[in-house]
Amino acid sequence: MIRKHNRRAAKAAFAIALGVAIVLGGAAAAPAGVDRGQATPIIIGTKDFPEQYVLGQLYKQALEAKGFKVQYKENIGSTELIDKSLRSGKVTFYPEYTGIMLSVTFGKKTLPKTALGTYNLAKQLYGKRGQTLLKQTPFQDRDAIAVLRTTANKFGVKTVGDLKKIPDLTLAGFPQFETRWAPSLKKNYGVSFDFTPLAGTSAYTLLSQQKVLAAAIFSTDPQLISTKYVVLSEPRNLFGFQYVAPVLDKDLVSENGSSFSSTVNKVSALLTTRAMIAMNKAVAIDKKPAASVARSFLKANKLN
Amino acid sequence: MAEPVLPDFGEASDCVAENRFFCTDWVRENWDPVLQPALVQHIYLTAIAVGVGFVISLGAALLAHRLRYVERPVAIVAAVIYTIPSLALFQLLVPVTGLTVTTVEIALVGYTVLILFRNTLAGLRSVPAEVLEAARGMGLTRNQTLLRVELPLAVPAIIAGLRIAVVSTIALATVAAFVVSKGLGGPILGALRLDFRTEIIAAGALAVGLAIVADGLLVLLQRAVTPWATARTAT
Amino acid sequence: MILAGLDVFANSLDFIVDRRELLLEKTWEHVELSIAALLLSILIAVPIGVVLGHLHRGSFLAVNLANIGRALPTLVVIAVGFTIFGIGYTNVIVALVILGVPPILTNAYVAVDEVDRDAVEAARGMGMTPLQVLLRVEVPLALPLLFAGIRTAAVFIVATATIAAIAGGGGLGDILVNQAAYRVEGLVAAALCVSALALAADGLLGLVQRWVTPAGLKQQISTFEPDVRPVV
Repeated sequence: MIRKHNRRAAKAAFAIALGVAIVLGGAAAAPAGVDRGQATPIIIGTKDFPEQYVLGQLYKQALEAKGFKVQYKENIGSTELIDKSLRSGKVTFYPEYTGIMLSVTFGKKTLPKTALGTYNLAKQLYGKRGQTLLKQTPFQDRDAIAVLRTTANKFGVKTVGDLKKIPDLTLAGFPQFETRWAPSLKKNYGVSFDFTPLAGTSAYTLLSQQKVLAAAIFSTDPQLISTKYVVLSEPRNLFGFQYVAPVLDKDLVSENGSSFSSTVNKVSALLTTRAMIAMNKAVAIDKKPAASVARSFLKANKLN
Repeated sequence: MAEPVLPDFGEASDCVAENRFFCTDWVRENWDPVLQPALVQHIYLTAIAVGVGFVISLGAALLAHRLRYVERPVAIVAAVIYTIPSLALFQLLVPVTGLTVTTVEIALVGYTVLILFRNTLAGLRSVPAEVLEAARGMGLTRNQTLLRVELPLAVPAIIAGLRIAVVSTIALATVAAFVVSKGLGGPILGALRLDFRTEIIAAGALAVGLAIVADGLLVLLQRAVTPWATARTAT
Repeated sequence: MILAGLDVFANSLDFIVDRRELLLEKTWEHVELSIAALLLSILIAVPIGVVLGHLHRGSFLAVNLANIGRALPTLVVIAVGFTIFGIGYTNVIVALVILGVPPILTNAYVAVDEVDRDAVEAARGMGMTPLQVLLRVEVPLALPLLFAGIRTAAVFIVATATIAAIAGGGGLGDILVNQAAYRVEGLVAAALCVSALALAADGLLGLVQRWVTPAGLKQQISTFEPDVRPVV
């Protein structure tokens, strides 16, 4: 039969386990309901790549230095997902690219012809949803096409249109690049190519290993610090404008006063292409934590 | 517009620049911001899944013990769910509960319940008939028999099930990173994109280490609660 | 919330119809990869397991191999493989074989090890050489359990191949990990396809398992898999 002390031990084990399970279950259920109370909380979210981590940390730390209480949700995912979070209130502030605001969030097929036009239209559309934009940054991170310098010299390629000169052009990029840009590239520049969708490898790796002749990249990629790549100019601005502007709940601005907006705008004003590439390099290539990179930058510019 | 001051962010150490397999300096520098939070999230995800799963499976097993017909449907559901790849299962839940921790927990709890249900039920059933008769002979009611005889005798099987559930959940929780960026899967996925060896090895080692430690702790619990059970390799 | 979910499922069915070439191509890639990995795993694991079982040696290794396989998160195996082999087919095949070999080897070992000793004695008594005993008596009697292991491995491999997309494996995983390109509807569509594939593989191999089981042993196949574990 069961010895007394073992029975007790078994009962004790069960009681503890049950108790732990109940407590954990309760703890899991609790955070589900967000009690906003009176003030709109500042919840900064970011998408899932290094540039966004840097931007998120910059705004977060600058605001915290001014005494604001900030919650931080990094790595949420793609535009579709983070916009969903914004609309449901899980996030109240995140850095977005003005062109993406129009093409993805609001589904516009044709984009305005100027950077300011893009910004203003986006601000107007967000306004109808109860959100607004703060000032946009000096840098933009938009689609671009790069080739090896050797390729550029060999075929005399300086602009996207010049790609016509390369026979049997192969181009690597994320799957979305082909669906979004291939038709208009053909239509406007007469450029067509054999597309290799990326699945894990970087386009730069494929380019340096000469597995493809051109790569669809982004204009603030840290790899662009190296001189072996040439970014082709795109005079018709087909790729649109992708300056960064913080999208946020209108209430954040009205409730937190000018100190809030001016802090955010001060940070944005510092973000030149050169600065962004340098910070991207520190995080993506030198593998420094985004938080420390942001801290060093803010400190050097006296914003924390 | 004034040009910003660009501080020196520090060059990558040689180790990182050459992308060697394991750079202790990087691990030390990134333990606080990256690795430790991921580890804590991972433990949290696992603990909730196993805790909630344990309660549900206990109830379900007790029910199946009384009502025979409950077992078959659960077995069929288990067979189907175990065949579907976990990533697919997560994505199938996404339309319903969104890209949230809830989605991940529902799937993890589901897997846990099915493992524990099977083991708990087997444990309850393993009680020899003579023991049950002796209990009835002593005048114990059905419930008293359950509480004082069957459940304690089922404990070895339950803990064996807990071991499997905990280790499996720790492994499955790495896949959670495809849905929501929590747990040790997050740094692994990020490092894969950047082709960064150290982070992969560090996070991977933590995941495997966590499983080994958890398994070891449960073995100790097993020995403490049921010292009469021989140390068979419980599978 | 449930209604919104149903909406997405409806859209995903649209996706399946609209993008069926893509899905067929990816499914075929997935199947090719899984079959290659499974055959390789069988080639490695069966001889070793069968021989060890025949010699009744190495039980510690054979049994614990399956336990270790269970504890290794698939994502970690693929990611570590990536650090060694980089992107591409080699990495993926190695990862799949690492995860596919343990269940086959363990089952092969146990299956041959536990063949009725009387049958083996009788065969030896009839003058068969050890090799003949192995091939004509032990293996046929071990087939059901052996196929159970192959079936488990097949399901593991199909599941792992899904995650292998992040290391350039191709297959349905390419869609499942790419939310940005294919949106939630695409992900759900791919998830449905890969689930169907896994269930089909399991069912097919279940039929094969029943087919290779000598009539006399049929009643011994349990409805529960010996090594039930969630497929990572």
